[in-house]
Amino acid sequence: MRQTKSGPALSRDPPEQEQWQTVSTRYEETRHGAMPGEIIPFQIRGRFLMALSLRVDVEADDAAFYERLDAQRETSPQFFDEAPMVIDLGNVPGMAEPERLRAMVAKLRERNLRVFGVQNPGVLSEEALQDMGLIPVLAGKDAPLPDARSSKRRKRAALRGVENKLVRAPVRSGQMVVCESGDLTVIGSVASGSEVVAGGNIHIYGRLRGRAMAGVHGDESARIFCQSLDAELLAIAGLYKTSETLEDAVRDRATHVYLDNERLCMEVIG
Amino acid sequence: MTVDLKEKPALGRVIVITSGKGGVGKTTSAAAISAGLAKQGHRTVVIDFDVGLRNLDMTMGCERRVVFDFINVIQGDARLKQALIRDKRLENLSILPTSQTRDKDALTKEGVEKVLDELKQEFDYIICDSPAGIEHGAQMAMYFADEAVVVTNPEVSSVRDSDRVLGLLSSQTKRAESEGADAVKAQVLLTRHDPARVESGEMMNVEDVLEILAVPLLGVIPESQAILRASNIGTPVVLDQPSAASRAYEDAVRRLTGEEVEMRIAGERRPGLFHRLFGRAS
Repeated sequence: MRQTKSGPALSRDPPEQEQWQTVSTRYEETRHGAMPGEIIPFQIRGRFLMALSLRVDVEADDAAFYERLDAQRETSPQFFDEAPMVIDLGNVPGMAEPERLRAMVAKLRERNLRVFGVQNPGVLSEEALQDMGLIPVLAGKDAPLPDARSSKRRKRAALRGVENKLVRAPVRSGQMVVCESGDLTVIGSVASGSEVVAGGNIHIYGRLRGRAMAGVHGDESARIFCQSLDAELLAIAGLYKTSETLEDAVRDRATHVYLDNERLCMEVIG
Repeated sequence: MTVDLKEKPALGRVIVITSGKGGVGKTTSAAAISAGLAKQGHRTVVIDFDVGLRNLDMTMGCERRVVFDFINVIQGDARLKQALIRDKRLENLSILPTSQTRDKDALTKEGVEKVLDELKQEFDYIICDSPAGIEHGAQMAMYFADEAVVVTNPEVSSVRDSDRVLGLLSSQTKRAESEGADAVKAQVLLTRHDPARVESGEMMNVEDVLEILAVPLLGVIPESQAILRASNIGTPVVLDQPSAASRAYEDAVRRLTGEEVEMRIAGERRPGLFHRLFGRAS
């Protein structure tokens, strides 16, 4: 199951960054299908991968293109440094040429962006991509329709229901609290250098200084609430704002963060 | 150990002095706190966990008396009694120095536990002076701790590192890993506090630090020439001539042993500031 976000992201620069997530299949069946007494030499687990998607909107990836990209990188270097990345060629079918793509990948990798895949590769063959060490990422419109197996899996997930999580201690720098499916509530502050991640909403009864990511599986109705906002990063369904782009009006105030028409909005509450 | 010291069973409380960041005053504080505890009559030992960069022995003024060290004991080359150095000023204070020539990998969990268990039989307080950082050496120093003193300077990077260490104390210690055990009791010791610089906004104030760290305050040690002087002559500051810093450490030590001591900040120009926080009269 893959999910991506498309459409305009926060920035209006030619290369648009958006975050997308991949949730790989959970092979629980593998673990339980073993014969009695048999030792399974491995365990396959679903891994949750966050990557940046670089949607190219202009045909010419000239010096100006990379200048803008570098400027964007400088605004939030910690976000871009060593980030796994896919290139989205959906808007520029003309770029789908092995030589042009190869040159672009080299330039991105020079910038410490770890390109590993291509979204909407158009006419590029899988062999050509493999030659460059890339994988085709099927997402958005290109994603295959859900088959019987995955819908069964989804039904099972629905039956299991959401699992909320409550943390009754401050989240310290360097700690990461993840609530896969439901809401995450923290009674205490979230320190700078820590991360709180939830599939659903995030509620923080304290000060938010770290990173908060709600709706990480693509739920655009997810929200973030905190008693005092001073976050390093806020993200809902992959659309993010960093501390530099926070509005002064909400800083240090009790705030409600939500998505409206693919724009991250904030309002002061209380 | 003398006979009269054995009359009461040893308390065996392990306290780690840690911080994450280097140069904030861990070793100075470990020396002052252990000397302060001993001065109050508690049987105290202070262990240097900073393998390869030993300097607790210099701060304590016993560097010329080191024969065997902590690593020799862990590796079975010497007995614990041979490595412990009895302080010349306080008879119930001992120092377990570390090795200058080995590295931190020489510390093993089993070895450290064995040494601590042996020390718990004879000492009320076992003070572990942690190296800077959050790697193996620091983890070994904190793993068996019952309590932690997190030494913090009133500036952002030190506070953030202390926050990281508080996170490790609540997850990477024996108490955190054992079901049903109380968490490591952590308190923050604010050192190098300079009221004038707080006033001018160059330094964080006490409230801001406590708001971020969300743990009790053990004490506030003023920035002081007395500390530098004491370190240079190899004397824990509480055993040197009286100063604002030594008084602040003595208060912190009394709080560490469970006494209620009113918080006072030496040289504080705005006494009202602290009263607002604690609601106490001076």
